[in-house]
Amino acid sequence: MKSDEPASAGSDAAAAKRPAAPSPQTELIIDTDVHHSLAAKEDLYPFLPSHSRERLAEHGLPRLGNVYYQNGGYQGIRADCLKSPDEDSAAARSSFSLFQEKLLGACGVNVAILNGELTAAFVTLADADYSADLCRAFNDWTVANWLSKDDRFRCALTVPMHQPEAAVREIERLGGHPGVVGIYVICGSPRLYGQRCFDRVYAACVEHGLVVALHFSGEGAGMNPPPTAAGFPSYYAETYLLRPQFYQAHLSSFLFEGTFEKFPSLRVVFLESGFAWVPAFRWRADTAWKALRSQTPWVKRLPSEYIDAHVRFSTQPMEEPASAQALGEVLEWMHGANSLMFASDFPHWDFDAPATVAQCFPAAMRRQVLSGNALQTYPKLHGLARA
Amino acid sequence: MASPALEPFPVCRTAELPPGSRRIAELRGISIGVFNLAGQYFALRNRCPHRSAPLCEGRLMGLVKADQAYAYTTEREGEILRCPWHGWEFDIRTGRSVALPETIRSKCYQTSVERSEPEGRVDTYPVSQREDMVVVWLPKPASTERARDRPGDP
Repeated sequence: MKSDEPASAGSDAAAAKRPAAPSPQTELIIDTDVHHSLAAKEDLYPFLPSHSRERLAEHGLPRLGNVYYQNGGYQGIRADCLKSPDEDSAAARSSFSLFQEKLLGACGVNVAILNGELTAAFVTLADADYSADLCRAFNDWTVANWLSKDDRFRCALTVPMHQPEAAVREIERLGGHPGVVGIYVICGSPRLYGQRCFDRVYAACVEHGLVVALHFSGEGAGMNPPPTAAGFPSYYAETYLLRPQFYQAHLSSFLFEGTFEKFPSLRVVFLESGFAWVPAFRWRADTAWKALRSQTPWVKRLPSEYIDAHVRFSTQPMEEPASAQALGEVLEWMHGANSLMFASDFPHWDFDAPATVAQCFPAAMRRQVLSGNALQTYPKLHGLARA
Repeated sequence: MASPALEPFPVCRTAELPPGSRRIAELRGISIGVFNLAGQYFALRNRCPHRSAPLCEGRLMGLVKADQAYAYTTEREGEILRCPWHGWEFDIRTGRSVALPETIRSKCYQTSVERSEPEGRVDTYPVSQREDMVVVWLPKPASTERARDRPGDP
């Protein structure tokens, strides 16, 4: 794929202004976690039925959960993405040309998978129909304003996972779009995602060649249980440290409910989960299975083997152990050469650039991390591998 | 049964080991569990390959399986030995781990019921007690077996 070429004439101007990409530009770079958002509630109006449009107009966009009222950077994003120091971050979060310039251009990202950061606000609403309407409108807005303008952008659909039948409808409605490569699911949930009520969602994902991309957010929001066994943390730094347990809970559920036995081609992507916890989890899961196999006899293999076959992890935020040697051991223990995929988290403040992240990995792993693992994991990106 | 590399050790008479029961004996310093599964006798080392627990003191269970998620079936009741310390399951008939049969197994020994006079130390038993004798066959002492088993031994 000539992915450096914009897909439409409309983006030629932005392409012309794009600064020269730094090395390693010879490598294909797939960014598995990019967060786009709305500039304003009005963006969704063309895509909503009138009753939901009136409701949105009157009450405004729902907020992310209270765990995330505070964030790093400036309102959660890179301050260097703002046009002026006091500008509200919504303009940058929703700026198509900014994403082209600072991510695709400056960082040489060839494929950017958009995961809408307002997902948590939409899918934690108890009102099933309004929630589904907002998800649908957001996806349509994404297709019209991002995917259709530059085919370097792909997206994972925002789906109302808390009502699986509505999530399936949205997958069936838009899952066939060539730019839709997954569903975007937040860790905050009334139920653990391996439970059988979600099987229909995974069946739809497999049918449409979509991965399940899991990302923290929404813990403790709306109908969701608190983010820890002892309630709510006070500060954002705590939520940062808590993230691995969100993913561990869902991964345990996937493994022992037999999700990967039910759906042998399903792929689950853990975005922004960190990854140094993965070796210890693998060991503990294997220990638990050996001891308790008879309670879940449909789990046929070591849990770590299912993780190898079905679960991938994003690089951002990069783990920063005290020694490079320690990172090498973690990579070996988690089979990182086959399981880690680059993510920038653009435009968020804890962004990682591909050129500098690549340097953290052994040279032999870099291509796999920057693109190879993503090409193999996302069925709808398989075609890029041949180009 | 008689192999030149094996040595017979009487454990008990068949009447003392009815179907479904077990007996743990120390044979040449090695703790061994002998199980009667519906008239067939199986002997396993009483030491779990995991953490050296007294494996043969574990509960006897069925083999719980599921062809698909949530569809439990249980077969071979009483033929699966669950280690008392960490729950690893072993197939008494093979000594193999149920979870990982290719890589984890408990030491097994041959058994037989000897009606005629066996070789070796069985000679020290009175003839009247030798009939219907459950016998476990151990490799002859050139083997590298530990002399003593205690729970928790590495």
